[in-house]
Amino acid sequence: MGGLSDIFPLLLTSSLWQTTLLLAVLLLLPALGGVISERSGVVNIAMEGMMLTGAFFAVWADLNWHNAWLAALVAVIAGGLMALIHGVVSIRFRADQIVSGIAINIFAAGLTVYLVRTIYGLQDVGHVGQSELLPNWNVPVLSTIPFLGKVLFQQNVIVYVALILLVLVEIVLFRTQLGLRIRAVGEHPQAADTAGLNVYLIRYGAVVTSGLLSGLAGALLAIGVSNTFVPNMTDGRGYIALAAMIFGKWTPRGAFVACLIFGLGEAIYANNSTIHVSQYLLSMLPYLLTLIVLAGVVGRSTPPAADGIPYAPGSE
Amino acid sequence: MPIASVLFAFLVGAIIVAVTRGNPLSAYAGLICGGFGIACTQGENPALQISNTIVFMIPLITAGVAVALPFRAGLFNIGAEGQLLAGAMACTALGIKLHDWPAVILLPTVLVGGMLAGAFWAGIAGVLKATVGAHEVVTTIMLNYVAQWLLRYLIIGGPLQLAAGTSKSLPIGKGAELATILPNDNSLIIFDLPASVYRVHTGLVIAVIAAAVFAILLWRTSLGYEIRAAGQSQKAARYAGVSVRRTIIVTMLIAGAFSGLAGAVQIAGVDHNLTDKYFSDTTGFDAIAVALLGLGSAVGIVLAALLFGALHSGGSVMQADAGISSSLVLVLQALILFSIAANFLNAIKLRIPGLGQAPSAPAPAGVGAALMTEAASAPPEQAGGT
Repeated sequence: MGGLSDIFPLLLTSSLWQTTLLLAVLLLLPALGGVISERSGVVNIAMEGMMLTGAFFAVWADLNWHNAWLAALVAVIAGGLMALIHGVVSIRFRADQIVSGIAINIFAAGLTVYLVRTIYGLQDVGHVGQSELLPNWNVPVLSTIPFLGKVLFQQNVIVYVALILLVLVEIVLFRTQLGLRIRAVGEHPQAADTAGLNVYLIRYGAVVTSGLLSGLAGALLAIGVSNTFVPNMTDGRGYIALAAMIFGKWTPRGAFVACLIFGLGEAIYANNSTIHVSQYLLSMLPYLLTLIVLAGVVGRSTPPAADGIPYAPGSE
Repeated sequence: MPIASVLFAFLVGAIIVAVTRGNPLSAYAGLICGGFGIACTQGENPALQISNTIVFMIPLITAGVAVALPFRAGLFNIGAEGQLLAGAMACTALGIKLHDWPAVILLPTVLVGGMLAGAFWAGIAGVLKATVGAHEVVTTIMLNYVAQWLLRYLIIGGPLQLAAGTSKSLPIGKGAELATILPNDNSLIIFDLPASVYRVHTGLVIAVIAAAVFAILLWRTSLGYEIRAAGQSQKAARYAGVSVRRTIIVTMLIAGAFSGLAGAVQIAGVDHNLTDKYFSDTTGFDAIAVALLGLGSAVGIVLAALLFGALHSGGSVMQADAGISSSLVLVLQALILFSIAANFLNAIKLRIPGLGQAPSAPAPAGVGAALMTEAASAPPEQAGGT
């Protein structure tokens, strides 16, 4: 561990924090989706699969139509459709939401590889041209601020979108009637139903939203950070997002803090090769930290009361 | 019901193949040939295909038991994969360090070592569930990834790495290897192929014993009674004098030992070292489908493991013969899970008498859901108070 002291000068570089924010946003989008879905009472461990589906369709659409915006839209829709399957199976058919989530992840892993082989044969998928990637955008004036300008205002456009969404989700969930309804449905669906809320509709909306957000994260990964699709390219990010959601106690801002911590860990490795700690051991940290949080060391993390329980009118 | 779920999955799978301009019939012919050695068109050897299916089936039985047992206690162990990897890593580490020990001592040592490592891995989730009520689904997901990264560390740059630049471990000692069922002899010809080609190993016996132990433990011991009682109602179990906390921890320890055994047997019987193949291993997740499809009974688990073993073995033949990607197998597996969990057919049947009206009584959700809701809604310490 002799290289650990190398971290400190690294922490003073703006490029480290720039990377941290980008990597954090890759986790933040599915984590926000998870927060919305679980606040409405539908357990969602399928962000991994929705993100992977988004990543594939982003590349597929971009290679077909050479337009990153259209590709991102296709990815968002693909993620939403995957989420809709999770919704139909777990809301309409009242299936076990964890089994359904596992099935979505397996389905996405199988379907994306199946489509790669069917459409592109045994070769690589191919690379998206530089001009057809989701672009970086330097915010005028602000991006010239020393240090902070590079960290906050020289980012991929989706990073700004994600930060706006973060604020939006926080406000909607905790400051609006819609948010109150979503949380009511997640805490006590019977009471919400009695009060005249459409439990099913709100849950469908929340689950599909989680898919849209995860699909967008897939697009950022495949045609923003990277420029192609490789099987299983999400590599557990959807699960780290799940961890971030729990770490953040089912709140958007808490999840964002967790995403920043996890993103920093990844960025430290990505930016520096002189640290002699195995990247694989560093990669364990998000999961270990979440276990520690779950153990109650950093305060209890309690899910919404009706999280994971299918709603059947007239039950209880 | 399970058979209908499988048929449903194959039907939807056929539609997916047809929509993507493949031929579903030749795809499934390839699967059947590769899985069961029946109706092969490209000169595949039926005996070899069946042998491959059994090799795939062995870890699925043991890991399936590791998911099915906690189900009975109302616990959802989706950490069988991490526990299996822990077992495989412990088995490999011991098999390397103690490579010169005689087989009589070394083989039991590596297998028991694998079981202990798996039990430890699952025990973390069990203790967290029993003491602070942390949901086992979440903790086991996290533990899966910790195991996954630990594995990468061990064989890439870590202490078990074969040589710089490789992503595999040193081989385990000869004494740690499980024998194949047929003699490892090139001159002995069985079904037109040398006997050494068939990889079916004595781990099959271990897997069948594991399934039997599961059935006996569950139905013939007081621990099994406590597990079933805790799974049906924690409150009632408590009134019956069952310590729910203790039952949760013991159940997870045993489940982890089964998964760890599955991993250790895979190393000792098939691979003899850890390779990057284990980075994408999904046995622990397939085991969830095996446990659900097998309805949590020992015989059911063996049959379901046979089906999934056949699908895995058949996938490569389907890809070679019919040109359909073997990842269709994953799609089929997901469809089977959807179908069991959602109980589509039951839900449709219930709708018919009411002429399209939704059923008034809630349709039974999956096996998992029925067994889980109690545990999921009430962490032990909140429901306590006697």
